Amino acid sequence: MIRHPLAWCAWATAALAAAFIDRNPFLQALLLLIIINVFIPYGAGRRIRIWKIGLALAVVPIIFSVALSRFGTHVLFTLPDIPIIGGRWTVDAAVFGASTGAALLLTVAVLAVLQTTVRSADLVAILPQPFYRAGTTVALALAFAPKTVASLHSIREARQLRGQRAGWRSAPQLLLPLLLTTLERALQYGESLDARGFGSRRRSRYRPLPWSIADLLIVVGSLAAVAAIVLMPPQPYNPYLDLVPGVPTVPSLLAVLLLATPAVTAGLSRMDHAAHHA
Amino acid sequence: MPLITLEGVGYRYPEAEPPALVDVSAAIEPGQVILLRGPSGSGKSTLLRCLNGLVPHSTGGEFRGRVIVCGLDTRAHAPRELGAHIGFVFQHPDAQFVLEDVEAELAFGMENLGLPLPLMRKRVEEVIDQVGINHLRRRRIDTLSGGERQRVAIAAALAVHPQALVLDEPTSQLDPQAAEDVLQVVMRLVAELGMTTVIAEHRVERIAPLVDRIWTLDSGVLKDQPPRAALAEGGARPPVVDLALRAGWSPIPLGLRDARVYAQRLPKPPPYPPPRAGEGKAHYPLPRAGEGKAHYPLPRAGEEKAHYPLPRAGEGKAQEGDFREAGAAPVLCRVENLEYRYNGVQAVRRVSLSVRRGQVTALMGRNGSGKTTLLKLIAGLLRPQCGTIQAYARAAYVPQDADALLFASTVEEELRGQPPEVMAPFHAWLRRYPRDLSSGERQQLAIAVVAAQADLLLLDEPTRGLDPQVKQALSAFLRLRAAGRAAVVIATHDVEWAARTADRVLLMAEGKIYADGLPAAVLSDSLVFATQISKLVGGGLLLPDEVPV
Repeated sequence: MIRHPLAWCAWATAALAAAFIDRNPFLQALLLLIIINVFIPYGAGRRIRIWKIGLALAVVPIIFSVALSRFGTHVLFTLPDIPIIGGRWTVDAAVFGASTGAALLLTVAVLAVLQTTVRSADLVAILPQPFYRAGTTVALALAFAPKTVASLHSIREARQLRGQRAGWRSAPQLLLPLLLTTLERALQYGESLDARGFGSRRRSRYRPLPWSIADLLIVVGSLAAVAAIVLMPPQPYNPYLDLVPGVPTVPSLLAVLLLATPAVTAGLSRMDHAAHHA
Repeated sequence: MPLITLEGVGYRYPEAEPPALVDVSAAIEPGQVILLRGPSGSGKSTLLRCLNGLVPHSTGGEFRGRVIVCGLDTRAHAPRELGAHIGFVFQHPDAQFVLEDVEAELAFGMENLGLPLPLMRKRVEEVIDQVGINHLRRRRIDTLSGGERQRVAIAAALAVHPQALVLDEPTSQLDPQAAEDVLQVVMRLVAELGMTTVIAEHRVERIAPLVDRIWTLDSGVLKDQPPRAALAEGGARPPVVDLALRAGWSPIPLGLRDARVYAQRLPKPPPYPPPRAGEGKAHYPLPRAGEGKAHYPLPRAGEEKAHYPLPRAGEGKAQEGDFREAGAAPVLCRVENLEYRYNGVQAVRRVSLSVRRGQVTALMGRNGSGKTTLLKLIAGLLRPQCGTIQAYARAAYVPQDADALLFASTVEEELRGQPPEVMAPFHAWLRRYPRDLSSGERQQLAIAVVAAQADLLLLDEPTRGLDPQVKQALSAFLRLRAAGRAAVVIATHDVEWAARTADRVLLMAEGKIYADGLPAAVLSDSLVFATQISKLVGGGLLLPDEVPV
């Protein structure tokens, strides 16, 4: 099942707005469920490769918040006067960190859906002609990310082989070889683009991207969600003031539910397909 | 009228002292196939990049003379304009793809030329059939093997209907089977479409019978000759040509097919005796005196476990035991029942192996058979999940990508702290930036940096992209190290080089060693891992100089 890349861009924008503007834990949980439900029909059984990054991003704010913040009334324990970490460790700080972590986890989940559903080629194709070169550069940069991680691994391994430190403390020494490797690869890409006629004249499109009613519904749903979130901002959740979150407001709830449009349209398409076959 | 003309082309890279190309003049007629060869760093890639204008447009530097491609002067036309006339396939399969999936890649060049959709659809279907990649069309690029990527790259270059195809060592990063697949595609294009082709290639065995001219580059100077004259002079050439020159065959056969006529006149060697379990005695020929190879004892008479060229039905895996003769050289590394699993895939299964001082062992097998994992386990870069590794000497592992090992600003800095004998071969390059060296030179430097002082050398595909001279030097270096009390284990796809360098060959598949023995035993009975001479003559003879003429 393929949707128009612009529809996905609109959906991702609305989902990110929902993840960051409203930190109500009930809504965050609902949003995560919706994102998973959107991923399943469009993911076609693919694994989410960046789930470890998402989990790490979710946990790190909790650790920082609970270790560094001294605010809050629900005390877990008190450490003696040790610099930085000494003093009261509170549940309030941990919940505040968890709230931030959940927002970051949701961001990673939204990006995972985008990574699975939108091909960089399609994204480049929908760009207006003046942005085409810049768009291709961004697409290339995105393609670079996993290769850069692979280069980092091989450089670390190489340092190990030469009897040099390979732990995180050696990170500054890794930067220069990583930069050199990345630059070399960028030059090779540049040569390849040039040799393949990139930028020589007005481009045509091999895969035209037609709009469907489902795409339109996703865009409308996403715009309505953004409007609801921005025009009727919710009461912000602050665990330092009250640990127990309030009931989500109706506009916030509706905004998050509207983000399920891709999952609903996928379900309808499947039913339609099944009925057609029957 | 020539399709491509080079007139007095000279080129010097920015800030480089010696010129990369010196007064190169040549012409290519439509439909001709040109093989470009020469040592590493001789200017092959530079010359090929002149043909589509990447030199000097992308590289800068000092350019003289002129290159006319399809009537266009490359000085006045940028590479993106010449892209419609010249299809270019790069050495590294990874370096040339922009988009994620195969079909989008095939269309990318045509989209850049603004071709209408129906024409693009037609051409995509055509190149898919021409190159035989229909099964790959829906795949993502990052899921393709190196050989598949090169075939896709060739298809993408062909899709724009170029008048000439330029291939810069397209098989140098591939295993023999993948290289064979890529060269098959090139040969089909040449034979069926009459495509004008310029190919730089070290593996000349397959391509030599098809070429019209051979261009030999040495220090930037080009020699344009007919194939037989060029091959008779030296440089990279098929082993059958070496044999033909020794035997005085004339005209020189360029491929196996021609050579078979002459080979019938050779004395027929006795068929190689494959030992069987329970025979107790294996009849493997010892390395010949004067070859510089270390002498290893054969399995003893009465020894139950022998080494088999290949496993036979019902016998299971060939014995992976070792040369256990009393008085043999000491074991430097012993591996017992080793297992390793990556992301649920069993990469190494119950491997047992001993490596002895003085041995050069070639570890062969298709991509993904577990060779690299086994080397990394022995080197201590991975921890075995099952089994034991006992190393009695310092192990050094040189990875496939030697570039990752080099990040100092000069060769001298890379070699700092190394003894003078290690630094000696690099005197001419001491002031150079390591990444400016050719791929062969970088490989040599990486081996010197990591493995110079180790007694157990573990090399992963050390001959990738090396020319015959450098490979010969590497072979001599490794033999010297083995003679000097080291043990060498090399994961390689290079059958000819392994036959010349190793005194033991292990074949791996699906994480298991399935054959272990002397090269003559293992390689002569294999279809994929057989040398050209073995295919021609048989009888356990692997190299031209082993054949009695």
